[in-house]
Amino acid sequence: MARHSKIHVGLEIGTSKTCIVVGEVKPDTAVKILGIGTTKTVGVRKGEIYDFPQARACLKDALVKAEDASDVEIGSVYLAITGAHIQGLNSRGTFRLPEGQSIVAPEHVEEARGIARDVHIPPDHVHIHPIIRNYLLDDLVHNGSPVGLYGKTVEADFHIVHGIGARIQNSIRLVRETPLEVDDIVFSPIATAQMALDDEQRERGALVIDIGGGTTDYALYLDGAIAASGCIPVGGDHITNDIHLVTGLAFSNSEKLKIMAGDASPDLSRSVGVAKLVDDRGYAEVEVSRSILNEIIRQRLEETLQLVYQRLPQDSVKAIGAGIFLTGGTSLMRGFSELAFQVFERDIYRPEPPEISGVQASFKDPQYATAIGLIRYAQILETERATPPGLFGKVSRLFWPFGK
Amino acid sequence: MIPYHRTPQPTLPSSAVKIVGLGGAGVNMLERVALDGTEGAELLALNTDVRTLTGCVAGEKIQLGRDLTKGLGAGGDPELGHQAMLEAEAEVRDSLRGRKIVFLCIGLGGGTGSGGAPILTRIAREEGAFVVVFATMPFAFEGRRRREQAETTLNELAVLANALVTFDNNRMGELVLAKQGIHEAFAAADHMICESIKAVIRLVVRPGLINIGLDDLMSALRTNRSRCLFGSGIAKGKDRAASALRNALASPLLDQGALLKAAQTVLVHLCGGEDLTLYEVELLMQRLQKFVPESAHVLFGAVVDPTMGDNLSVTLISALPEDSLAAAPRQLSHATENPSTEAAAESPLPTPTAQPKPRRILSADSSAPSLFGEETPITQPTAPASVQAEFRSAGPVPVEEPSSAAVSVPPADMDSLPEEDSYDVTPGSNDSASATTPPAAAAPAVGLDEPSEPEAPKLKLGVKSLTPQNELSFDSTPRGRFEGQSPNVVDGEDLDLPPFLRKKK
Repeated sequence: MARHSKIHVGLEIGTSKTCIVVGEVKPDTAVKILGIGTTKTVGVRKGEIYDFPQARACLKDALVKAEDASDVEIGSVYLAITGAHIQGLNSRGTFRLPEGQSIVAPEHVEEARGIARDVHIPPDHVHIHPIIRNYLLDDLVHNGSPVGLYGKTVEADFHIVHGIGARIQNSIRLVRETPLEVDDIVFSPIATAQMALDDEQRERGALVIDIGGGTTDYALYLDGAIAASGCIPVGGDHITNDIHLVTGLAFSNSEKLKIMAGDASPDLSRSVGVAKLVDDRGYAEVEVSRSILNEIIRQRLEETLQLVYQRLPQDSVKAIGAGIFLTGGTSLMRGFSELAFQVFERDIYRPEPPEISGVQASFKDPQYATAIGLIRYAQILETERATPPGLFGKVSRLFWPFGK
Repeated sequence: MIPYHRTPQPTLPSSAVKIVGLGGAGVNMLERVALDGTEGAELLALNTDVRTLTGCVAGEKIQLGRDLTKGLGAGGDPELGHQAMLEAEAEVRDSLRGRKIVFLCIGLGGGTGSGGAPILTRIAREEGAFVVVFATMPFAFEGRRRREQAETTLNELAVLANALVTFDNNRMGELVLAKQGIHEAFAAADHMICESIKAVIRLVVRPGLINIGLDDLMSALRTNRSRCLFGSGIAKGKDRAASALRNALASPLLDQGALLKAAQTVLVHLCGGEDLTLYEVELLMQRLQKFVPESAHVLFGAVVDPTMGDNLSVTLISALPEDSLAAAPRQLSHATENPSTEAAAESPLPTPTAQPKPRRILSADSSAPSLFGEETPITQPTAPASVQAEFRSAGPVPVEEPSSAAVSVPPADMDSLPEEDSYDVTPGSNDSASATTPPAAAAPAVGLDEPSEPEAPKLKLGVKSLTPQNELSFDSTPRGRFEGQSPNVVDGEDLDLPPFLRKKK
């Protein structure tokens, strides 16, 4: 266990912005954000990099800003990755104790874990995280390891996140060329959830939806363990694109309209009148009926939320007790929480846009949720690595080296 | 390409397959087969005890030992059963004439089943049929005597029958919870056997993509004095391959797949709807590899059957030498657990003792409705509801009133049912079910490309845009900044296109 404070750096190369957060983890596990470096990303679409030189330039820019702000020389980072190719699935490994043995031994648990992890993923995919959810001993749920207990069948429930190896490797390569070392890669919604949810909320059941520029990532926690995670390649860019396609406005104007006038609320009274963009001289440059503008936005976001809903395990939404936590830049859209409530019919928590700028304020800004969550993730990982092996059950997640 | 018609693989006509239930237990199994719906096979019930025959739903019934036992059972005496069968030989021979395959269901250890089975098998063989015998071994608590009777018959059958599938009743105890009723236990056991009979029929009768035939079945079961390992699972939805396999391995005869470790030959049969993918097959087989020794001979078969819908079924058949299945200690505890139920336990078995007739009527009465009542969740959707209702009413009535009128009524109903009707209804009902889904799924897919074209002019009116109209060329469904990227299709909808345009239609 780290006895002195330790500095972790989280890096998220998002569709709209590249963000580096430098955080200090104190010996008492408190996290202090030292600095944030952020820059607009070019060359990333739907969470995946398509233009490496440009993305690299953006990363360098953000790195310089972060080092300036935090006065720390950054050597290695935790990298958040996302993309439509990344999927989470639950797998259960069952191991029946050999004849004549009735006490669960560590190797039996290991075997069950091995079977659970050994899911058939497409050949070009690699495991990103295998996260132990819980164990079952003769159909009875055990949160901790069942080693030493009497039983017949040991089962291990895993949540396994996997994605296309080559794309993940390319993201890592980009960071290494900067040059920065990659401590670990983390699937974005899992990092976000570290920041957005506390243990109690996870126990009661919570869904985190991180709706960013290019992707919508979600992670569902039930009974303290992750139950589902995934990524839908739709985000704020799509709204802009929709406005552009339907109204024929230029991208820049579409984006401005979306931010200035857009409203996703299902409430029709908010869609009265005309939305205008005024140019420098005070003349109306662009005019669009609010009913159309809001309808475009609402349909896009409603569809996205519906997609998330459909991908969650059946009846799991009813089991959400704590509520649904919306983060990500697009969650700042007006009326979004009403819309989310209409879709999920659960309590909706939506971060408010920060009133003031500055380091302290960024805690509240949903745009930085993932990068800050990475610091939390790093901290949890650090504690886990320090615990002696064999205590797997105590720690709720386990790190599995990438590529294995 | 020159289209040409390929003659479909010849299927066995339904009249070529006959399922015969012999003795009390055999008739019970047969009844279960009838209730679960057989895919084109005739059913024949044979028993010495006329009361179980009248209550039976099989289409064809022959009373054995009309003069010898006079409508009573064989009283647990194989010699009586033997004589009774010889008496009815001509009748049975007529009934089996011209059949290609005969499935014989018997419960060994009693009189009629044990005594009559070898002769029946011989008759069937003489008539040129391929004989597959499904036999259950008596419970451990039924005593050594019955066990020995069963073993004697089994030895004879091993020589006479083409294939022998043996189930151990002791293992059946694991099918149900300890506190569940005995009738449920027998219902579950019968269901299990029925499933395996149906699986074998499916295997043999239905031509496969990767075909498996009688030869494969025989080599899977080819160990002398063997016990059949059988597991069948069905699943649908996401991850169906894994769950189907899990269901199949959950069969108590497989012991979570642990028993497969010693198997030398394993027959795996997959049956799926038209959406069965190679990936699923691969995944399933890879999972199965964990349970099967590397040296084992895996006989693999796959069938695409449109009536399966989005279901995927897996059937595992293998055999183990008897001695490798040393009776688990569990069985003893089972036997001691409920000795009081022993008497009741016997009634569905072929143990027609002479004295306790009134009691047996009662037990048959009380178990019959619950058997049928419990039926609903188990039956496959192939059996129409009306059929079940018919069975329900037809079943218990003749038990009480063994008059000739009551006897003649059920066959009239039955004739149409298990053979052609259920066979015809199955694809029909499923076809309509599957036929409703594709259009629903296809509609949005079709609408996906179209809506933009007719929609475009309307939209232009609604938007007070100053940009020139020629930019709004919806003809090629522009995607704005996502132009030229791989389409982002989820459930047949391109997510890169505005829902505003997609959903309008």
